[in-house]
Amino acid sequence: MGNTILEVVNLKKHFLQRSGLFSTLRGQERIIPAVDDVSFYLKEHETLGLVGESGSGKTTVGRTILGLTPATSGRILFDGRDITALSARDFRPFRKEMQIIFQDLDAALNPKMRIRAILKEAISVHEDINGPQLERKMGELLEQVNLKESKLTNFPHELSGGEKRRVGIARALAVGARFLVADEPTSALDVSIQAQVINLLKDLQENLGLSYLFISHDLRIVELVSHKVAVMYLGRIVEMGLTNRIAESPRHPYTRILWSSLVEKESKEVPGASSGGRSGDWGVFDFERPYSGCRFAPRCPVYQERGRPEKCTDPSTEPHLRDIGEAHKVACHFPL
Amino acid sequence: MTNLPILEIEGLRTYFFAKSKQAFIRAVDGVDLRINRGETLGLVGESGSGKSITALSIMGLISAEPGVISGRIGFKTDGIAVNLLRGLEEYVCLARKEGRVMEVRKDCVGWEKQVELLMGTIRGKEISVIFQNPRSSLNPFIPIGKQITEAILLKGRIKNRREAKQRALYWLEQVKIDSPRLRFDSYPYGLSGGMCQRAMVAMALASEPSLLIADEPTTGLDATIQSKIVDLLHELKSAFNVTTMLISHDIGVIKRLSDSAAVMYGGTLMEYGPAGDILRVDRESKHPYTAALLASIPSEKHIKEKAYLQAIEGDVLDTINTPDGCRFYARCNRVTEGIREKCQSHEPALREISPGHCVRCWLYFN
Amino acid sequence: MKRYSQLSRHVGAYSDLPFWKKAAPVELLYVGYGLLVVALVVVSYILGATHLLPHDPQEMDLQLLMAPPGTADHLLGTDFVGRDLLSRLILGIQAYFLPGLLAIAIALTLGTFLGVLAGYRGGRIDTAISYGANLIDSFPRLVLILLMVAAFKPDIYYIMVIVGLTNVPVVLSLIKGKIQFLKERDFIEAAIALGLKSRVIILKHILWYNCRTVLIIQATLGMAEAILIETSLSYLGFGVQEPTPSWGNMVQAGANYFMQGKFWPSTAPALAILVTIMGFHLLGDGLNTILEGKRGT
Repeated sequence: MGNTILEVVNLKKHFLQRSGLFSTLRGQERIIPAVDDVSFYLKEHETLGLVGESGSGKTTVGRTILGLTPATSGRILFDGRDITALSARDFRPFRKEMQIIFQDLDAALNPKMRIRAILKEAISVHEDINGPQLERKMGELLEQVNLKESKLTNFPHELSGGEKRRVGIARALAVGARFLVADEPTSALDVSIQAQVINLLKDLQENLGLSYLFISHDLRIVELVSHKVAVMYLGRIVEMGLTNRIAESPRHPYTRILWSSLVEKESKEVPGASSGGRSGDWGVFDFERPYSGCRFAPRCPVYQERGRPEKCTDPSTEPHLRDIGEAHKVACHFPL
Repeated sequence: MTNLPILEIEGLRTYFFAKSKQAFIRAVDGVDLRINRGETLGLVGESGSGKSITALSIMGLISAEPGVISGRIGFKTDGIAVNLLRGLEEYVCLARKEGRVMEVRKDCVGWEKQVELLMGTIRGKEISVIFQNPRSSLNPFIPIGKQITEAILLKGRIKNRREAKQRALYWLEQVKIDSPRLRFDSYPYGLSGGMCQRAMVAMALASEPSLLIADEPTTGLDATIQSKIVDLLHELKSAFNVTTMLISHDIGVIKRLSDSAAVMYGGTLMEYGPAGDILRVDRESKHPYTAALLASIPSEKHIKEKAYLQAIEGDVLDTINTPDGCRFYARCNRVTEGIREKCQSHEPALREISPGHCVRCWLYFN
Repeated sequence: MKRYSQLSRHVGAYSDLPFWKKAAPVELLYVGYGLLVVALVVVSYILGATHLLPHDPQEMDLQLLMAPPGTADHLLGTDFVGRDLLSRLILGIQAYFLPGLLAIAIALTLGTFLGVLAGYRGGRIDTAISYGANLIDSFPRLVLILLMVAAFKPDIYYIMVIVGLTNVPVVLSLIKGKIQFLKERDFIEAAIALGLKSRVIILKHILWYNCRTVLIIQATLGMAEAILIETSLSYLGFGVQEPTPSWGNMVQAGANYFMQGKFWPSTAPALAILVTIMGFHLLGDGLNTILEGKRGT
């Protein structure tokens, strides 16, 4: 596999939010720890899958790495170089190497530009390239992402979902990126088109030696394309390891619940789980709920089964990622 | 008594006339369905298959100017037996030139009036709908408790407001929303997506409809919340025996909740039968589209072997230029030489291959 | 209906019809008429500038006072001292054409520049600029113009500078609004991620692709306004002075003879004003509906 292309160390990204809709003039500012101490590394030609639901912070991790939003603390190292606090100008050369595929299909595409113009812009951003060379490069790109040449004269709104996604991928490839953050590349696509996109991403990784940070809420798809998986909950990584280990024997209760929600469509959560009388479907994005200690405790079936042990909710013994063998890490006091 | 069809759709076609292209977009192109009392029918399909438009056609919500519907939707329940599309054709006038339709003139006002006449006593009372985005389907200015109460009062069976409020509370409890009394006065913006969806379910069921149409009820929600909503629907189904038409592109949801399933592609049905049979991955005799759909979902085997998914080549059907032959021909990977010509030129009919199981494919009939 | 818009994407093989087939006929009429007016104005300006006029506009033919249209190859007749009305009308365009362009240029360039600054940077810059814009907006324009006229000379160019400046707030807020709306859109973020420089993003993506229609429309409205102001001022005697023709002072000059039944010397320039301003307004309106209104899905 080779060198480490990306390393993230103790990354934190906090958002400030004024609480409440009708806060008083001296409204309190609440800190939302969208990403709270996340660390991982990615080697070349590898895919690291980042799973979690909305509010888990996975998208924020991707965007912070790309410099689209500044990190609050921590370090991001690309190819060994610290890119955490670079100015916009110093960051630009790195944009040649790292790109993002946005979650929203229409995001990267200016609705008033034809596809040809969009791709031309992407190709000529960092290099001065023109004429027949440009045409050749464009043809190469189209072939790589399996897009028909006739689509060049169309506008984004005339393309289907799968085609738009492929244009987004082509754009990222056009600058010559080696590292791609794929933010939910398959959601909003039909199942049959999802398969096309997944296959395409796999092919590209094989042929071009790309490295991916694959962000998704679908654990199955992530496990299909990733070498390693990290599961996030409320800003933290709760489990991380090689894909087949996680797929075969997940150790964190949340991972298990996520899997069964996706596959069997059955909830294995504790029904009516509550912490201070509040339950309901707040799910992951629940920074409103005061938590102490393990953030997952209120929904955790293991926590209930073991009679609500103090260890889980005591802030001083908050579970951190522990190595449990074979590069498998879990942040849980009572892993399955 | 138990198995009388509540809804019988015959030959439903919903076309939209695109003036800029001077052609019809055939959103729904010939659908025949039947739902029996107490049954849950799952309508599976991807975007563009026409499943949502089918639901809207049933509900009389195709009001946009260029929308044209033909066919028959028979709705039969206690005291009501009506064709929901009766007389709508009279309000549409097609201007033809050399056989091609140049313009569609629709008397919108008349159409609306006729729809109101037909659906006035049915919509919201006998047929309820749950839509995909719960937050945008609820009125953001009215607390949810009040919205449910209104729904109950509109039905007409309960006239007393206090009694209606009690019923509304009852239903909020049934959908397992936490602290129902507290949530009764909440506005939709104060609720999470999952809770909004529960409130919508409560509103839909509170009027005690004969038929519930759920259009993508779980899409857009988080995975764990989705499973909870599916659990809820499952419980309500057994508790109240609600006849449901469930529309979703998520096969897992359909599998868990439906008795029978219908697979749509390109505006028409490709396969129909018991859900367990159709949606089982290893089953042999099924439509190539269904098989391909199931195969493109990553399974345990795929994950273990890190295999490539079986993608369906090509793009979703162009609903203006529907081909002469089988709609799925261009993307089908099970065409044999013997039937190739037939697949290209003639559209197969939906025929039974085993009791209750119909397929539209030349592979099974000659 | 939202669903319908989802459907139209299924017609991918066809490219959309060009906009002149999609727009409602009345809008095309507006735009067509407006373009015709613009063409006439430009042509007339050129004719006037190069003195290619049917008659000398200052030549007085005292035999033919207030002749009706058609007499002795005066296509539109003559005015109260026998000068050819048509030539004077054509020359009258000089009074507002270049000054109007000046007003438009000032309004658009300053307005865009400040709008971009306020919209893109936001914060204190935005507050300062908005404060300034509000200040300018609250001055009654006519008072400013009259002040200018009183303080300096009634030069139409100075007046148009004021008109341009007082139009800056409108353009500013339009551009600022567009930028604030677009800034949040993902494709701007995508452009940043791609590595484009801010300057390029603003100029290309925001201004060229998204704002140019608004600016064109503002230009048409600006010209209409310039015409109105110039002719009004000239009518009142503050603008262009005799014997230089301006539609405004032609109306004024002919007004005295209106009661005598010789209404043509007044009516011709008045009609010209009406037709021209309406042309620009309709052009702006029609373009607005076609380009900005119901576009695409």
